[in-house]
Amino acid sequence: MIPLKVSNLVKKYGDLEAVKNVSFEIQSGEIFGLLGPNGAGKTSIISSITTIEKPTSGSIELFGGRVERENKAAKAILGVVPQELVNHGFFSAFEVLEFHSGYYGIRSNKKHIEFLLNKLGLWEHRDKKIKQMSGGMKRRLLIAKALVHQPKLLLLDEPTAGVDIELRASLWDFVRELRDSGTTILLTTHYLEEAEELCDRVGVINHGKLIKIGPTKQLIKELTSRQVAIYLKNKLPPCQHINLIKSNAQEKSMLFEISNQTGIGELLAQLKFPMEDIIDIQIQEGRLEDAFVKLLGDKNELTS
Amino acid sequence: MPLSNSWGIKMNSPAKPFVSQELTWTPFFSLLKREVQRFLKVAVQTLLAPMINSGLYLLIFGLSLGSRIQISDGTSYLSFLIPGLIMMGCLNNAFSNSSSSVVGSKYGGELEDYKAAPLSSQQIIWAISLGGLFRGLLVGLVTFIVGEAFLYFQNGEFLSIQHPVLLVFFLTVGGLSFAKLGLSAAFWAKSFDHLAAFGTFILMPLIYLGGVFYSLEHLSPFWQTLTQFNPLFYFINGVRYSILGASDVNVWMAFGISLIMLLLFHGFALFSLKGGSFNRW
Repeated sequence: MIPLKVSNLVKKYGDLEAVKNVSFEIQSGEIFGLLGPNGAGKTSIISSITTIEKPTSGSIELFGGRVERENKAAKAILGVVPQELVNHGFFSAFEVLEFHSGYYGIRSNKKHIEFLLNKLGLWEHRDKKIKQMSGGMKRRLLIAKALVHQPKLLLLDEPTAGVDIELRASLWDFVRELRDSGTTILLTTHYLEEAEELCDRVGVINHGKLIKIGPTKQLIKELTSRQVAIYLKNKLPPCQHINLIKSNAQEKSMLFEISNQTGIGELLAQLKFPMEDIIDIQIQEGRLEDAFVKLLGDKNELTS
Repeated sequence: MPLSNSWGIKMNSPAKPFVSQELTWTPFFSLLKREVQRFLKVAVQTLLAPMINSGLYLLIFGLSLGSRIQISDGTSYLSFLIPGLIMMGCLNNAFSNSSSSVVGSKYGGELEDYKAAPLSSQQIIWAISLGGLFRGLLVGLVTFIVGEAFLYFQNGEFLSIQHPVLLVFFLTVGGLSFAKLGLSAAFWAKSFDHLAAFGTFILMPLIYLGGVFYSLEHLSPFWQTLTQFNPLFYFINGVRYSILGASDVNVWMAFGISLIMLLLFHGFALFSLKGGSFNRW
């Protein structure tokens, strides 16, 4: 059964159309990334799935069940990590997790809570009140909260926003582990490195429209080109090849940009450099960031 | 210890296989438990402060001014005042418990959790309003005990309760109604000030003008008529009748109006949950 099916989703806030007729499906056991610049409509989609926002039109199905305010069965298999940190006034981390288990219908969940606290490095902070915790601890607590009921689908809304490098890397490992143990994951991010690292498939969203969807690797391949740097022993021969983008006389190197469909051999054959003259060939594959820039047209838009 | 070390363990929870979920009652009782624990954690603010409050009222109105006020059937003013203070404390605290819980959860972002969780609107309303009711009843009880102490100190006697079942009824219906009203106000509130304004401009005048401190016979005909449109007048006199055996209104009328209020405020709450905002401030 399809974990998540979004069909013709539209969300308007007054005159502003934040989500414009978006449809996509997530496959079982994958990490799917929704990418887009800030304000692209990612969180509006997440909020519609969690019923925090009511869609203007369209439908959302979780494992075949329609997502609605009062559909408890659909909500019970969903875990959500919101983008913004949550405070819980007077309660300790352990108490928060106990209450949260209860909200999802689990009366005694001590073992799993202990497991999660250990797993997320929060065990020694279990009796701390939430307001005494650092930002990183709060972020990890949010993840623990989302996992108390072992959801089949986990939504991560910008899980690593404002998180340091070390924690980010361990969060990534954790997300992969979750996928490997059978959880389907939808994550939103505007860090392309994160999407490239983690996501099996991505959907690119801009101004509320889903403009591209597909396996991450395929998208990169389709939308980017490779850079080939050739280092020579002797001085650079004259070269008018159309793919030449830069030559460096001092380093005695030449840089070519070729599409992913063109072979290296093909390029070398065209260049006709003598083999013994070549010291090194370095190939740099395209990155998701390049694909993204190509899709959105303007690089400033994604970092703004 | 770097984080990654503690995360190196395989993701195999001891809680597997999948925990069975009980979605009918467990979410509701968990939220109720949270609501009660919330106010018990800050008992100084939620229970001790109201106790001091009613102690002050008893001291000022009951002991010092009360000797100059006459109630027609010969009841002492202090005895007259105690039921009013019990109900005032109950209503006030039920209201502020649910409203500050909702507003606090909005501020922290926790309220969105309720919406994403498998909790129905009815469950959210009942759990939060029962939490408010418990605090209201506790404050009512504390006020009763303090009042008895004052009465014993002044008159050398205790006040006995004439109709205990009716007393429980009026306190419960009143507390629930006001907890629901507090919840409704908090769902619509856009800021702490917004909520405070509701308390100052609407709630406080209704409570103070609802007959806590005076009997209808002390008022001019105009104010007498106006007071009869104040729903709190019936809650307060219901409690007064339950304790003293006499009050300004027919007890069955108070009974009926209290139930209508409960239905009305429950409707408000339901409407607020559907139309109000769960979003964080």
